[in-house]
This record gives sequence, structure tokens and C-alpha cells, in this order.
Amino acid sequence: MAHPQAMQPARPPRTRTARPKAPDYLRPRMLSYLLFDATGIVYLLAGLVVLRAVFALASGPAAWQAFVADLHHPGYVAFHLLTFVSAVFVGVRFFRLFPKAQPARIGPLRPPPRPLIHAMLYAVWIAVTAFVVAAMVGVIP
Amino acid sequence: MADGSKTKTFIVTRFDPDRHEAPTTETYEVPVRERWKVLDALNYIKDELDPTLSHRWSCRMAVCGSCGMNVNGEPKLTCKTSLAEYGDTVRVEPLANFPVVRDLVVELDGFMDKFRAVKPWIIKAKERAVEEGPHRQSPEELEVFRQFSMCINCMLCYAACPVVANEPEFLGPAAIALGHRYNEDSRDEGARERNRIFRGEGTIFSCSYANECSEVCPKHVDPAAAINQAKFRAVLDWAASFVTSGPREE
Amino acid sequence: MRKLLLQLEPVIWLLFGQGILIGTLLLTGWGLVLGVLLPLGMVPEEALSYDRALRVGGSLLGRLVLLGLAALPLWKEAHHLRSLSIDFGGAERDVWIAPLLYAIAALGSLLALVAVFRIPFPG
Repeated sequence: MAHPQAMQPARPPRTRTARPKAPDYLRPRMLSYLLFDATGIVYLLAGLVVLRAVFALASGPAAWQAFVADLHHPGYVAFHLLTFVSAVFVGVRFFRLFPKAQPARIGPLRPPPRPLIHAMLYAVWIAVTAFVVAAMVGVIP
Repeated sequence: MADGSKTKTFIVTRFDPDRHEAPTTETYEVPVRERWKVLDALNYIKDELDPTLSHRWSCRMAVCGSCGMNVNGEPKLTCKTSLAEYGDTVRVEPLANFPVVRDLVVELDGFMDKFRAVKPWIIKAKERAVEEGPHRQSPEELEVFRQFSMCINCMLCYAACPVVANEPEFLGPAAIALGHRYNEDSRDEGARERNRIFRGEGTIFSCSYANECSEVCPKHVDPAAAINQAKFRAVLDWAASFVTSGPREE
Repeated sequence: MRKLLLQLEPVIWLLFGQGILIGTLLLTGWGLVLGVLLPLGMVPEEALSYDRALRVGGSLLGRLVLLGLAALPLWKEAHHLRSLSIDFGGAERDVWIAPLLYAIAALGSLLALVAVFRIPFPG
């Protein structure tokens, strides 16, 4: 059911009205949207894992080794796989919206054509990911 | 069937506030013809099967915005929606998120309130005198907002939006798109006022990127684009408001 | 509280926007390495050693990236979980859910900032 006051007029209507019904949450597009919001949980936990990593690095070799050992744990691996999948899902959905969310003009500046923004976003995404992977895997000494 | 029609079953919401506690449904068997739209079936029900059915419609050609309803869970203009898209059973309900007045008719005053709230008219600091002649606007200036002026107020976007369902104060897609249309109009000087409204109780920042509004819009207005452009503008305006005052501010 | 939230919306939205943009850009690589490459044995032992981690993570760019990775996803999270709460009929509880979620994000960001400064400088 929708909120009982959804789309309620400021002045009460002349006859009794029935309570608004909510949109159907089980449709595929809606489920995709709810999933998009739910990735917030994954992002929260991922942020906390990185926080732990930074604290471990600051605390010394022992704490860091303990952290790295935990990273090999199947639970952590599965979670990071989920993080990767969530990040891709969020990125694809967000990048679809980003080009059309640019105002037509700010002062003298105009945004580039939407397909170009789209391509640029993907290029930056791939570049940053490659950089992070290279840094973590040891390609960068 | 002999005359080329086949029968489809329509499950239609019925609600009479004098007789029912809450909405119920009634089932009708309708011999549908080729190329019929949902509206044709509803009119057949009213003409031939049950004259007590109440539903709104007018132009029959997707320009007036009267005939919006939820068909199989999806907000649609019934005059534009072909029955060939559906199987043997079609569920017709009033637009979601709106209070129901009767059968398939919903209360629209709530939308009118939100509509008025965004001041959908040209605002000038000083009204232009008749002797000064008309405003001049280039095709490029028109193109900036033309898409957002195509709204027919059918309210399918309100029926689709999960935020409208849950936050009664939210201005909603059509109202925000219209306010943004005026903010982007080169003739208008009311952006400071409208952006304050956008950041107020009806806050446009409640939009959570479902994009449902743009998915269902029959006129390709793309309200999601308008709302998200408006957010950016509202933030810029918020920052600017610390430094300058608007054209009509004291 | 609602008035305060409304006044802070532009700032919250900017942080959320960066959380989703930069946060997603950075998290993809982090998740790919630790969720796919690591179990496939493609991450050498040496790469994650303390000395190397200190060198890479302790560099200026490294600290900035770690700060972004730790703090920015929290803002995306806060905003989206708030939306999710509202999607499930949570308009009334929003008045305490929103400050709670944003406070967690703010606290996490602060801790991240502190931690990034506490990484010992190499050499």
C-alpha cells in the first residue's frame, strides 16, 4: 500500500476516497531499483573493510598480517566478489543516468554530447580499475 | 469468433464510496476486435455490459492525458495501449499512488497543489511593457527546455514513482520537470524562487533515481533527466544564494 | 530535525554523488583483486606484504585513494539505505533513520581521515 497521505490534496475531497495503492514492487524494473538501493549494505561493509585495512596498516606488521590472512578466508573472498559485482551493477546503472543529468549549460560551458560522456565515463572506469589492480597486485613496484 | 473478435477477460477495480468499504473488482468478458486499445474495451463494458462503470477519457489520441490507469500493474494511457500486448486476462486498476474517488477515477487535486507550488509561469523581476514588444528567443534557447514542455499532465509518472508512494510531501516528477522547464527558459527570471521551493518541504533531493517516471512517460519528456539536472542547479543556486540575492528578493 | 536535514540536503547530495561516482570507480578494482584475482592465485604473496603495503599505501596518492575507498562508499550507502527504508513505508521513521545513517557515514569518514594520517611515513 502507498502512504495513506500519498497525493492527498490540501483541502479534503468532497467524497470519501479509497487509500492509494502502491506501485507493484515485484516488476523486474522495480526489483532492479530495489537491488540498486540495497547495494548500500555492500558498500557500507566494503568501506568498513577498507577502514580496517587502513587501521591495520597504521598499527604495524602484526595487525597487517592478520588482516591479509583474513582476506584469504572464503567469507571475505565471497564478500569481495559480491563487492565487485555490486560495483559493476551500480556503475552501469549510474552511468546510464549521469549523461542526462547534466544541465544544458552552466555559464558559457556546455556538456559534451551524451554518448561521448557515456564513453568517457567507461574509459575512466576501466583506467581507474586497471590502476587500482596494478597497484594491489604488484605490477607497480 | 465469426466477426473476427476474440474474448478477453477484464478484471476491473470497482469502488463506490456510498456502497463499498474498500475497492473490489468485477470481471467482464469482452469480445475484443483487432486493433482495439484498452480504452475501447472499457467503453464497450460501459456501453454494453455495465453502465455504472466510471472512467475518464477524452481525446482518444494520447494528447489530453485523461485516460491514465494501471494496466496489469503498469501505468498506461489506455487510449494508446493496444490489447494485442496482453494475454487473455487484463487487469485494469486506477492509477497507483492516488486516492480513488470512484472505480477508475482518481483524485487529482493533490497533483494540482504540487503543480501550483512550483510557480509554472514566466516570472520577471519587472514586467515587460507592451511597447517593448515580445520576448525574443532563439531556437537554441528553446531547445534547452522544449522536451520538458511536452508534458500532458497524464500523471503516469506519479503512479510509477516509489518516492511519491512513500513521501507525501515530495513534489513529484511532472511538477519538478515543469519547474525545471521554466528555470531553463531564457525569458524567465524566477529560478532563485523556484530553487528555494525545490529545496523546501517538497524536496527534489528525495528522488532516488528509480527512473520509473521516464520509463512510463508516453511523451518522452524524460522527467528523470529534468529532476537530476534540477538537483545540480539547486545546489549551484544554494551556493550562489550565500553571495547574491535573486531578482525579486527584498 | 527535518528542517536541518532539508538545509543540509545539497551537501549530502554532493557527498552521495561523489560516493557513488568515485566510490564505484575505486571499489571495482578493490573487489576484482580481492574477490576474483586473489582466489585464482593471481596475487603474489609479495604484493600484499607489509613493506609494500606501507610503500604504496603510504604514498600521497595511496593515502588519498585509501581515504576515498574508506569514506566515499559510506555516503552512497547512507543515502541508498535511507531510500530503501523510505521505499518500505518509512516516511515517519526517516526523521531518525536519516540522521543515524548520515552520522555513521560522517563518523566513518572521520575515522578514515584519522587512520590515513596514522599510517607511518616510509623511510
